[in-house]
Amino acid sequence: MATLIHTLPFLVDGLLTTLLVSACVIVLSLIIGLPLGCVLAFGPLWARAPIRLYADFVRGVPILVLLYFVYYGLPAIKVNLPSLLSAIVALTAFKSAQIIEITRGSFQSIPSGQTEAAKAIGLSLFDRFIHVLAPQAVRRFLPPFVNSVVDTVKGSSLVSLLGIVDLMLSLQQVIGRTHVALPLYLIGALMYFAINFPLSALSRRLEKRFV
Amino acid sequence: MAKTDARASAETPVIAIEGLTKSFGAHQVLKGVDLRVGRGEVVAIIGPSGSGKTTLLRCINFLEEYDGGSIRIDGTEVGYRDGSGARRRRSDRELAAIRVDAAMVFQQFNLFPHLTAAQNIMLGLMKSRGRSKAEARAIAEKWLARVGLAAKVDALPSQMSGGQQQRVGIARAVAMEPKVLLLDEITSALDPELVGEVLAVVQELAAEGRTMILVTHEMAFAQEVADRVVFTDQGRIVIDAPPAKVFGEQPHERLRSFLSRFVGFRPNPA
Repeated sequence: MATLIHTLPFLVDGLLTTLLVSACVIVLSLIIGLPLGCVLAFGPLWARAPIRLYADFVRGVPILVLLYFVYYGLPAIKVNLPSLLSAIVALTAFKSAQIIEITRGSFQSIPSGQTEAAKAIGLSLFDRFIHVLAPQAVRRFLPPFVNSVVDTVKGSSLVSLLGIVDLMLSLQQVIGRTHVALPLYLIGALMYFAINFPLSALSRRLEKRFV
Repeated sequence: MAKTDARASAETPVIAIEGLTKSFGAHQVLKGVDLRVGRGEVVAIIGPSGSGKTTLLRCINFLEEYDGGSIRIDGTEVGYRDGSGARRRRSDRELAAIRVDAAMVFQQFNLFPHLTAAQNIMLGLMKSRGRSKAEARAIAEKWLARVGLAAKVDALPSQMSGGQQQRVGIARAVAMEPKVLLLDEITSALDPELVGEVLAVVQELAAEGRTMILVTHEMAFAQEVADRVVFTDQGRIVIDAPPAKVFGEQPHERLRSFLSRFVGFRPNPA
């Protein structure tokens, strides 16, 4: 028991790294994915085509391949990123493709009658977007987005493969020294769960409220 | 429903459509339609599905682009501008200003689900008509009271029946004080027992002299409320006459076969 308590600060450090990576990935993916998703929903073909290609390609590649590509592949063209940055870049590439898709779907699932009704009362393109489409899109966006955040937190455990001491790797290191596997894995699982369960619950509440 | 002489007011048409053509791909839906609607006139468009009546209505506020011919609301060409011989599509801003004059009520209501009944009406008033929030609210409350929904001012569409939603839809359109009100099969999505409450509202608007074009399958209602009935078939206007004449003599073979499908409808010219 005493051993387990001694390991806690070390695990909490790992947990903080997991949260840091996840937060960076989510924020960057929103910054990239929201505008590109809007272009994919409303833009002209020449702008949609490259975004479509990017989203389909990135989502079709295993995240681990993206991770290794950025960390081990890019140095060949003189792009040397430290491991933490490589991890954030690779995970953001993947997550932003997902955000693009969720954003596009949120707008395109709004019935066309909404735009027609807004046109019929003389709203301009800008007002139609701000007052009619965007509020409805947000309601459609939130549930899948929260699920996507949960996936990000869990999926960030892959960064341990680049030697980043996140919750996953800190667990393995502690187990390597103490040889107490089961209780430590349980603690680690509970830590992931403690973050993700409230998010899942939130997602369910949002779905009930808006769909 | 005594109305002023429609023929006299038709001299200064609110709506003037000439030679309107429209195709969806290879299929020509409108094959040269001419229609004039005078101030205060109520025109009912009837006809088999696929005859182009809804497309015609949607062209009037440019929800559909038209290929040839012209539509003028109070003298202003709706969708295009003459630019050195070639017609150019109007900008979104110009279209918005023109569309306010031809507000539309939809078959599927199309209320904004995230806004209350009052907010549905206020949005256009504030953004397109430049009303303050307080003014818009007052107008919205006035119109909701007029359509019998004073108690539903702050209700969301999801908390209302279909008939109530459609009455909000009518209030939203008419509150814009459009030059013409376009009604697109507004009772077709309603349960039969809710049709009456919606038609009663339309009847009242007709009685106070509002210009309206309605596409409808309610023959008895068209006969009662309209000054003119327009029968469309295969992309053309086949008959354009007062209801007594359209429903009375039934001179046209295609109209006869069309009307015969409405079980229980007995043409009853006043």
